[in-house]
Amino acid sequence: MILLEVNNLQKSFDGSAVLKNISFSMEPGQVLAIIGSSGSGKTTLLRCLNFLETPDAGEIIVKGQKLLGGASEEQIRKNRLHFGLVFQNFNLFPQYTALENITLAPSLLGLGSKQELRDNAMRLLEQVGLRQKADFYPYQLSGGQQQRIAIARALALRPEVLCFDEPTSALDPELTGEVLRVIRGLKNKDNTMIVVTHEMEFARSVADVVIYMADGVIEEMGTPEEVFEHPRSEKTKAFLRGAASVL
Amino acid sequence: MTFLQQLPIVFGALNVGFLQTLKLFGITLVGALPLGLIIAFGSMSRFRPLSIVTRFFVWIIRGTPLMIQLLIIFYFPSMALGQPIWGSGENGRFAASAAAFIINYACYFSEIYRGGIQSIPVGQLEAGQVLGMTRGQIFVRIMLLQVIKRIVPPVSNEIITLVKDTALARIIALQEIIWAGTAFLKGSQGISGQVWPLFFTALYYLVFSGALTLLFGWVEKRLDYFRG
Ligand SMILES: Nc1ncnc2c1ncn2[C@@H]1O[C@H](COP(=O)(O)OP(=O)(O)OP(=O)(O)O)[C@@H](O)[C@H]1O
Ligand SMILES: [Mg+2]
Repeated sequence: MILLEVNNLQKSFDGSAVLKNISFSMEPGQVLAIIGSSGSGKTTLLRCLNFLETPDAGEIIVKGQKLLGGASEEQIRKNRLHFGLVFQNFNLFPQYTALENITLAPSLLGLGSKQELRDNAMRLLEQVGLRQKADFYPYQLSGGQQQRIAIARALALRPEVLCFDEPTSALDPELTGEVLRVIRGLKNKDNTMIVVTHEMEFARSVADVVIYMADGVIEEMGTPEEVFEHPRSEKTKAFLRGAASVL
Repeated sequence: MTFLQQLPIVFGALNVGFLQTLKLFGITLVGALPLGLIIAFGSMSRFRPLSIVTRFFVWIIRGTPLMIQLLIIFYFPSMALGQPIWGSGENGRFAASAAAFIINYACYFSEIYRGGIQSIPVGQLEAGQVLGMTRGQIFVRIMLLQVIKRIVPPVSNEIITLVKDTALARIIALQEIIWAGTAFLKGSQGISGQVWPLFFTALYYLVFSGALTLLFGWVEKRLDYFRG
């Protein structure tokens, strides 16, 4: 079964093409890792999936339902709910506690009673290991903790595909582990996820499919083994050599 | 008349004047705080003609003395239409003063609001969008409190300035506290040539702005529970 299908997605800014004919598909429960050098269009792809950018052409199909086209604000809002996005720099709402950050959107969407939403949020906090921080404000939390709250906030809307844009790259090295552990835990609960990351070891161990992007195209796509051990494209080989020499 | 005999007369007159000062102060805030928000939205509008016209208007108002604006608003309509629109007497002068102050302060507030709104990181807005919120919900539930926290200090500053700016309405003879004080220089209620009542008005401003300072300090404290 196909959960998400992306066909020939294109996006350019000021005449320069940033995404050129991006196509891939995902099955439920799969984890897709996207790697690639800076400026290759990874963030733009996630932003298109979350309708923060409008693609110039192409299709986004979730469970057989095509999401592009209907450009009314109401329609875009509905489209967005199929996806969740965890940002590089968390973007928690500073005036709300961790718990309120998680319950705000579900309560505005009327997804349950106050008590139900609270209970669900507490479950999510448990899942990300921060139950005891429910009443803390973002400034009282470390970067890693803030990112885990942001993950719980995205999960509260039960998106069909949860996207992560370099979820650990704004964190001190010693805090990346706790966030990656949470993402790994989500995989075990059959969440469908797209993770843009520079953490090659993580991509290799957690992903079912790896995409290497270069200059707005999918240069290489396959299992972690295929991409990391037996890359076909010269660009991929060069990128992986570069990544290895950094580590 | 001895000083002690003058005292209750002067107090009475200054109190009446200060009441007029307070009325002008109050109505200016009630009108200008919300009008400023509308102007701010206008100046940030993605509809270019609207934002250009709004910014031009704000430039005119902020670029010219409030005193001149008072004179224009009070006298110009009757010059142009051949008949006064503000009504006669103190009520007419109050209405004209209120109009001038509201427009003037709304423009200053609008720039503070605009700065406050634009200083909120775009990531906050996008976080709301990906969580399926409407534009209205994002403004009210996410932006508003963060904006308020950021603009309380500059808005307080403007409001303290407004307390003293009300004295400018004297140019069209509004009978506010400075006008009341000046009356004892020229001669009023058997007192003339006395300058101390005018000096004394400073105490009213001082006490009132002191009270406002305490109020704003309290508001800032109330918003201290979060950062950002
Ligand atoms: N809003 C925009 N306006 C103009 N150009 C943009 C915009 N957003 C992205 N770009 C350009 O698109 C290209 C791809 O950017 P994108 O952020 O998607 O790359 P990325 O793969 O996420 O890079 P990084 O690894 O540095 O995060 C870059 O050249 C960038 O300058
Ligand atoms: Mg990026």
